[in-house]
Amino acid sequence: MDIARTPQPQESTLPDETAAVLPDPNENGSVPIVAFDRVTKVFPGGFSALEETSIRIYPGEFVSLVGASGAGKSTMLKLIYAEEEPTSGTVYFNGRDVSKIDRKHLPYYRRNIGTVFQDFKLLPQKTAFENVAYALEVYGKPTEDILQEVPEILDIVGLAGKADKLPRQLSGGEQQRVAIARALILQPKVIIADEPSGNLDPDSAEDIIDLLMEINKLGTTVILATHNKSFVDKIGKRVVVLDNGSIVGDEHEGKYVLPAKQRTSKHL
Amino acid sequence: MKMIKLWRTFKEGAANYRRNGWLTFATVSVLTMSLFMMSLAALIGFAGHLGLRSLEEKISISVSFKPEAGEARILGIKSQLENYKEIASVRYISRDQALDDFLRDGNPVFTDAVKEIGENPLFASLVIKATDPQYYDMIAAQIQQSDYRNDISEVNYERNKKRIEGLTSLTERTRNIGFIFGAVFTLVAIMITFNTIRLTIYSHRQEFEVMRLVGASNLYIKAPFFFEGVFYGLSAAFVSLILLTVAAYALSNNIGGPFAEITGGRTFFNVYVSFLWALVPSMLIVSVLLGIVSSSIAIRRYLRV
Repeated sequence: MDIARTPQPQESTLPDETAAVLPDPNENGSVPIVAFDRVTKVFPGGFSALEETSIRIYPGEFVSLVGASGAGKSTMLKLIYAEEEPTSGTVYFNGRDVSKIDRKHLPYYRRNIGTVFQDFKLLPQKTAFENVAYALEVYGKPTEDILQEVPEILDIVGLAGKADKLPRQLSGGEQQRVAIARALILQPKVIIADEPSGNLDPDSAEDIIDLLMEINKLGTTVILATHNKSFVDKIGKRVVVLDNGSIVGDEHEGKYVLPAKQRTSKHL
Repeated sequence: MKMIKLWRTFKEGAANYRRNGWLTFATVSVLTMSLFMMSLAALIGFAGHLGLRSLEEKISISVSFKPEAGEARILGIKSQLENYKEIASVRYISRDQALDDFLRDGNPVFTDAVKEIGENPLFASLVIKATDPQYYDMIAAQIQQSDYRNDISEVNYERNKKRIEGLTSLTERTRNIGFIFGAVFTLVAIMITFNTIRLTIYSHRQEFEVMRLVGASNLYIKAPFFFEGVFYGLSAAFVSLILLTVAAYALSNNIGGPFAEITGGRTFFNVYVSFLWALVPSMLIVSVLLGIVSSSIAIRRYLRV
């Protein structure tokens, strides 16, 4: 019903693939976990971060969003976890129009999405254990379950011995692992990582990317925004190239290739 | 919200309370002052009321009759008075009984004096109690205008009346001053508590975004600050109860004498203890309300989620 009210599908005369009715299953019959339908985002002041962007991301994919700073990567991610609302167009999560979610219910919606950021976003007064546990506590999980699940997940991300450390007592790489553990603990359908390695030394950064690939192997969809060329080449999965708010490249098993337009515009 | 979440936000509020250190101390101090002022005012009001009531119970109009009026005449007047619905009781004290009462103390000076006179110098009297203290004026006036006014030697009423009026005005003044101070302190207390919670919110301001990102509901984020306010209130109630006990004890030692005389042997401290059943619950309610009001204002104004 929600979908029928969105402006476009059959009425569109353009033979555009984005005009297909959602949910738009792929050849395996999966509904896109995340879909953008001609999404435009204009920030107050007229800055246009995304223009008529459409994309389908299916469950289990590992998508690397690449592009220069300001190309619209973070905006796309924010639209997915409903931190921003599209100016026009529709963002779907698992076939559901994200903008139709009542603001009051956003916290519940966000439990479907694990988020990892460049600046970790940990609670400074809580230990590694407590930071991860917090995501379960707000969910009303019984204490016994928390005591069992949190050490398990800390073990998985390689922080078994550091549960009692505060964020400031941990290295950047370790803090990011805490953040990933927290993102994983609710077994979300999607992990969104916005420049997760941006603040880390090369070795730690590589470890984090490896960890995200592991998580993806276990079936979680990962959407990674980065501008680190070597990581993208190493991951060797779908690469979506953004430039000035538009998708200019979408390659399965792609490499990080800067679009021609961007290369020239840089020298102008 | 589930019980488990309520319990978790409760613990979070307790943690805020503990971490605030000096701020907690200052907040609880000011809250304590206001609660102490208000409860002391209430206690003095209550004790004054008790004193007044027992004083009122002691009021009576004593009508003494000239010796010429015979016993039959006086008993006639007694039964006449007993018909008024404003009058609760009339007791007849004969001259002999009055003398016995007078000499019962066994003071040898009195005994000698009476012997010297050689006859009973006292008058027979009627002691009248009204059903309500407000009728005494009227009753006294009636008696002084009655047809037997010439038999009457004296109507003794004015003396008690002055004492009652004195105590009433003292009690009311103390209570009013106490409540004015209490109200001023309450306003200050709300502002201080509000400010403390605002500072706590401020020191957590970067965390709300993170909490929301990991799926905390707005209520879950706000609830700890409510509890924080409640904790300040409860601590203040506890401290002011201790202070009040000390104050009641000290007052009891200072004004205990006259007070016990008025209330027939009850000490001020004794009155305080018997007042606790009403005082403790109302203090708890008021203190928790103060905490909730202050934290609500702070949350509403400063916690944007």
